[in-house]
Amino acid sequence: MLLSLLLLIPFLGTLTVLLWPGGPSPARLRLITIAILVLQLGVSLAVASAFDPAQAGMQLQEHHAWVPGIGLDYALGIDGLSLPLVLINSGLTLVSAVITRDIDKRPRIYFAMLLLITGAVNGAFLSENLLLFFLFYELELIPLWLLVSVWGGVNRAYAATKFLIFTAVSGMLILGAFLGLALLTGSVDFSLTPVLSERLAMGGQLWLLGALLIGFGIKIPLVPLHNWLPDAHTQASTPVSVLLAGVLLKLGTYGMLRFGLQLFPEAWAKLAPALAIWAAISVLYGSLAAIAQTDMKRMVAYSSVGHMGYVLLAAAADTPVSLLGAVFQMVSHGLISALLFLLVGIVYRKTGTRDLEVLRGLLNPEKGLPFTGSLMIVAVMASAGLPGMAGFISEFLVFRGSINVFPLATLLSMVGSGLTAVYFLLLVNRAFFGRLAITPPSGDAVEDGRLDVQLAPVAPRETFPAMALAAGVVLLGLVPSSLGRISEVATTALAAITALPTGVH
Amino acid sequence: MSAALPLPLQLIWLVPVYGFSGMLLSLPWATGWIKRNGPRPAAYLNLLVTLLAVLHGSLVIREVVTLGPQHLDFPWFQAADLNLRIGFDLSLTNLAALELVTTMSLVCQVFALGYLDKEWSLARFYALVGFFEGAMSGVVLSSNLFMSYFLLEMLTLSTYLLVGFWYAQPLVVTAARDAFLTKRVGDVLLLMGVVALSAWAGSMEFTDLYAWAARAKAEQLISPLAGTLLGLGLIAGPMGKCAQFPMHLWLDEAMEGPNPASILRNSVVVTCGAIVLLKLMPVVAVSPLATTVLLAVGSISAIGGGLVAVAQVDLKRAFSYSTTSYLGLVFIAIALQMPGLALLLLFAHGLARALQFMSVGSIIATTNCQDLTELGGLGTRMPATSLSFLVGSAGLVGLVPLGCFWCFGLVIDNLRQLAPGYAALFLITNALTAMNVTRVYRSVFLGPVLPKTKRTPEANWLMALPMVSLSVIVLLLPWIMQRIDPVPGIASFPLPVGLAVAASGLVGVLIGSVVQLDQFWSRSTQPTLRVLQDLLAYDFYTPEIYRRIIVIPVAGLARFTRWFDITVVKGLVDGVGRLSLTTAEGLKLSVSGQLQSYVLTLIVAIVLLLGGLQVLRGVG
Repeated sequence: MLLSLLLLIPFLGTLTVLLWPGGPSPARLRLITIAILVLQLGVSLAVASAFDPAQAGMQLQEHHAWVPGIGLDYALGIDGLSLPLVLINSGLTLVSAVITRDIDKRPRIYFAMLLLITGAVNGAFLSENLLLFFLFYELELIPLWLLVSVWGGVNRAYAATKFLIFTAVSGMLILGAFLGLALLTGSVDFSLTPVLSERLAMGGQLWLLGALLIGFGIKIPLVPLHNWLPDAHTQASTPVSVLLAGVLLKLGTYGMLRFGLQLFPEAWAKLAPALAIWAAISVLYGSLAAIAQTDMKRMVAYSSVGHMGYVLLAAAADTPVSLLGAVFQMVSHGLISALLFLLVGIVYRKTGTRDLEVLRGLLNPEKGLPFTGSLMIVAVMASAGLPGMAGFISEFLVFRGSINVFPLATLLSMVGSGLTAVYFLLLVNRAFFGRLAITPPSGDAVEDGRLDVQLAPVAPRETFPAMALAAGVVLLGLVPSSLGRISEVATTALAAITALPTGVH
Repeated sequence: MSAALPLPLQLIWLVPVYGFSGMLLSLPWATGWIKRNGPRPAAYLNLLVTLLAVLHGSLVIREVVTLGPQHLDFPWFQAADLNLRIGFDLSLTNLAALELVTTMSLVCQVFALGYLDKEWSLARFYALVGFFEGAMSGVVLSSNLFMSYFLLEMLTLSTYLLVGFWYAQPLVVTAARDAFLTKRVGDVLLLMGVVALSAWAGSMEFTDLYAWAARAKAEQLISPLAGTLLGLGLIAGPMGKCAQFPMHLWLDEAMEGPNPASILRNSVVVTCGAIVLLKLMPVVAVSPLATTVLLAVGSISAIGGGLVAVAQVDLKRAFSYSTTSYLGLVFIAIALQMPGLALLLLFAHGLARALQFMSVGSIIATTNCQDLTELGGLGTRMPATSLSFLVGSAGLVGLVPLGCFWCFGLVIDNLRQLAPGYAALFLITNALTAMNVTRVYRSVFLGPVLPKTKRTPEANWLMALPMVSLSVIVLLLPWIMQRIDPVPGIASFPLPVGLAVAASGLVGVLIGSVVQLDQFWSRSTQPTLRVLQDLLAYDFYTPEIYRRIIVIPVAGLARFTRWFDITVVKGLVDGVGRLSLTTAEGLKLSVSGQLQSYVLTLIVAIVLLLGGLQVLRGVG
């Protein structure tokens, strides 16, 4: 029943927000949403405490036949792979509701969509039935499209449509793969049974896995399927970016591990070398593209492309340590990218721009954003993999787990890790160091008064969510066993599944 | 096992924590939450915790002297076949290094109270120094490679922040960036080595790694190529930390940071890097090529650093290059398997260099000038500073019987049969150093008084006290060294070797005293000399070479990727979009906030899906 609560709370919450009597003010709606999300976070913590980390399989399972005719069951379960992601989802959705201020149009729908997304994401992470997963995977799509296209920036229609088309293709490929699996195996049982694919010929397996890889590759996103992401991020508002980077991208990597690696172990082993190269290309491409960006948000978006590549590398290597590293990387990327987007959001709100050619010296203690800047340094260092923060241990586990299997791809990915330092240092150096100024670098600085900048102070309540995220990043970096304890058994078991068939050959 | 150990040993993990707690304690002032009464309390708190670290360290030394070396470790993270631990190796050499680190940190913090007297962000400085100190004390005590790497990278971060302390100045911005990126390159290469070793050898404990390295060499566990790459990766980290050619650039630029941090950087940070190399050397030795590279890097750094130092007109840079040069000598000693002598040299160098940088700091604080051509005649006006400079420099140059003289004597005695070429290299470096300090002394302390040195009182007591105390320590250094290492004793080399060292120092001093010092340091009129002068003054044009071979290609690659991303990837996507124009345009136009149409889309999608499944079921 506990897992159903994780669906009931947000979905009933959506209805509550939509149907709240009288014309509640946006602030009131925000508080209602926050209350619902706090409740959801409480329930997910309860799930975490009810969860037994020593057990490998699905726990707290719930099974009800729903539409038996087509094999669609209401089957929920949670394991060490999905639990951290459920927690991240609850936490980051709460953060993005908290940082939503001054919604000018249709606040009811905005908050309802936020709740709908978090419920759908929970559903996707908890589903034990392929079709149920697919339903939730699609369900999250429309609200996010709305959030970008209604509350986004100037060019939002283009970005939102692109997002919709890309993700719709992703959904179709995934559905196609699921249906194909049913068709080829002649079974309409869509429950998550890893051995199903073994009945198939390798050719069929490769086709299905290929479709899944491209489908999830769009969502993750991997180069060259990433094109929707930078546009969606730059046009989305800050809370939506937090949600998109922190939570929704994880659907792709989760799907890849759960339905790619776990359902098609033989084909996976066959494709793994190519996947590792793909991962390295993604990492390097994302990092290099990030270096050349001048929009802070675009830079962070490309860094996501690079950093999600590590997860693919770890999944391809498929060792106990690397898969644990994949979970760590998903969680730490969730926290760190959310933190980065949040801070960029504060800068944007205070200065009206995110252009690195325009911003200078924001660390200025009296007139600038010193505290935001300090948190930004923490965030970029965490992202660059400095020890003591979540990024380091995640990358270390990924690299350590992968180097024996794919030495070259691992070393190339490590070069990408070095490049992360380059672009984020550029960001900090350009925007935060130097003398405070906000105007393009040409022209007469004194004449046009660009040096007389006085930014509005940042209230503690604005930085509080960022501080909470930064604390999480440091905590995970210093006490990684907190997460390792939850996931280790599950990831080891996952690596064992695939080790069996490859061991036979 | 640990229950039997005395309390100071059991609580050894507190030693790095003292430094880190100093950072946390400073935060209320550094972030401006507490503004009353200024930021001084943060400094006092940091001094207090550093004092605790010094005292704790000396208690541990007393225990270790009676109990013998100890090893403590605590589990940190364990998963599958990976076991990462926090380990402390309490040997006397490690503890001596720890005392060097904590004592220097304490002395520098007192010095900084005077030097940064009017600095508004004093608390931030102390927070960073606390972080710095914590990381360094962890590095010297660490018994496993993972922990050493972890803390070395923290040192990189704190160096970045300390160099960037005055972040509003343009030169500081580039200096901080270069410091971080240069070290980061070394760190990433080192990380590659660490990851590979962790995967191959299993354990990360240095002792286990030595055993593995011996086995790997004997049984050919890894291919020669892998061994070479491993060795090169492992030396890259210390090369970056110790500012060795070609990764020396950052130390010079780092001189833009506050002087008290420069003191630490030139004395103990480089020492930490060298100690990590020392601990890694048995593994590096798996690859003969890596050892050769280490020797080459050390030699080039020693001579190159010494030469470049001579051509600098900036007071701090003249000595930072000299640090590069000395660490080059240490690298040679390490590569030639003389760990004891390398440590001794590090110890002697660290203390004397710190003293030298303190006197430099005192001059800069008083005159607000660090340009050699604008300084002069300070000798009589700042006697304590002048004396400290002399003592510090004497401690570095092998001429008078202070620290480095004995080290050089021992090293050369060891090398003269084994590798006479390197013995000569030590002598040349010594001569170059002597020449450099002599010419700097002449232009700063002797000569006529210049406009910027007219009103120059002696530094205040907060700077003078640590300076004079350290002078006494440097003067007593030979005696301390004799105490640390009584067998075979610091004087166990024959007289001719001592004379050779002294002679090389004397040659340097003589050249330094006769060389013509132009007050305006105009470039020489002789073309050949001018080329040489420029070559050295601009550090062999290293920044330019870097720009050409690294910065421009990476930037070009980045721009190409962006172009590719926009033209090819996005172009393709938009092209496909235009082909299916009807759908795309339809969706685009419908973005108007009409909820009904969205819901309709959703329902249609679900109906199609369910219908499709029913059909499929009929088929299957």
